[in-house]
Amino acid sequence: MNTAPDDTLLSAWIDGELPAEQRAEVEAWLREHPDDAARVRAWSADARSLRAALDPVLDETVPVALTQTVWRKGPALLPNLGWARLAAAFALFVLGGAVGAGLMWRAQAPVAGGAAASASGWVQRAAVAHSVYVPEVRHPVEVRAQEEHLSRWLTRRLDVPVKLFDLREQGFELVGGRLLPDASGPSAQLMYQAITPPGAASAAAKPERVTVYLRKPDDATPAAFRYEQQGELGLFYWVEGKSANSGPTGYALVGALPRDKLLALAEAIYRQDPSRP
Amino acid sequence: MDAPTAFRQQLLGVIPSLRRYARSLVFDSHAADDLVQTALERALAHWHQFDQRRDILVWTISIAHNAYIDERRRHARASLVEPSEGFDPDASHPAPGNDIGLQLDLIKALGRLSLEQREVLLLVTLEQLSYAECAEALRIPIGTVMSRVSRGRIALRALLDGKDAMPPQGTLRRVV
Repeated sequence: MNTAPDDTLLSAWIDGELPAEQRAEVEAWLREHPDDAARVRAWSADARSLRAALDPVLDETVPVALTQTVWRKGPALLPNLGWARLAAAFALFVLGGAVGAGLMWRAQAPVAGGAAASASGWVQRAAVAHSVYVPEVRHPVEVRAQEEHLSRWLTRRLDVPVKLFDLREQGFELVGGRLLPDASGPSAQLMYQAITPPGAASAAAKPERVTVYLRKPDDATPAAFRYEQQGELGLFYWVEGKSANSGPTGYALVGALPRDKLLALAEAIYRQDPSRP
Repeated sequence: MDAPTAFRQQLLGVIPSLRRYARSLVFDSHAADDLVQTALERALAHWHQFDQRRDILVWTISIAHNAYIDERRRHARASLVEPSEGFDPDASHPAPGNDIGLQLDLIKALGRLSLEQREVLLLVTLEQLSYAECAEALRIPIGTVMSRVSRGRIALRALLDGKDAMPPQGTLRRVV
């Protein structure tokens, strides 16, 4: 590169937004121009400082009012008139005629789940991961249950013991698992599905699936065994304490099952926990 | 028709990121959560407009951005202090420590950027949105994203270096 790259280009280089050729040119320029390189380093350091200052918000417990808002049925309860006017204008502009049905909505009390939805962020992420992967037909898991390295791989990446729980007595078999990003590090999802009786195989609709979400817990996560209902999803979550051979592990069992059925699965997992003697 | 459970689950999943984004706009945690609440209510009211092929975070950030602009407009005549003016680092009596001092300087400097630059810089560095996603969220051309990120970086660094050459606040545009 003969002419100096302008600041816009240098900035786009930091963000990985340049095509390969331009990227190589900028890198060559920076190698030969320490002043520019220093400036770019300072910008990158500022970005890191910004993240350090604001990332902790991600791990804060989400206020109950916000989760309740998400689960509230009916139209949003508009806090004041000015807002309502704007919202109405917005709705008219964007929706046109399609808004009619909305007029029939009625405000209802928040659903039961909303009131209890005080779980910390990772439990929400367990619920989201469940909703994302359970409907998958072809790729529900990253690594199939048959592969021996599944447990070893997840254990190594999570830095907590990952045991492949045997839930066949409760009518569920392991499909496999996947590694997922979480706010403060990796987490794992194990997926189980209901064992279909012989003969009913292909005729049956989608098999029932439950997922177990595991991670190294935050210090703030309560160790108690908790239950929460989010719409049709039930969640049991708890933290297994530290033992001689492992640190604490956070578990969330997620499934659209009746509470007693889900509880039976949670208890089976609890009994099989690798940190128990 | 009410928003389906799957959509609500998706919304729950973006709340932490939305809260961080809101905090970076208004700094005060209660005001930030009020903004998130407004954005969630709007998202639920318009859930059927969400195209599942799009990124829900980009979509909800766009909604939160609009809510913020609306709020500023609503309060413009009520002579609301700018977040940067309202945020007084000296008032919070931080414990001594280099990091906290640095962070307060940083937040203060951030608050003095024009909203346009601040927002783009935050979406790119904090939310790690690509320029294309950022352009989509704010409905501005990618080239504009590119130049605002760059100018935002330069302005932030200048402020942290103690140089105070802030360009005047640009005009704001609501994304419809």
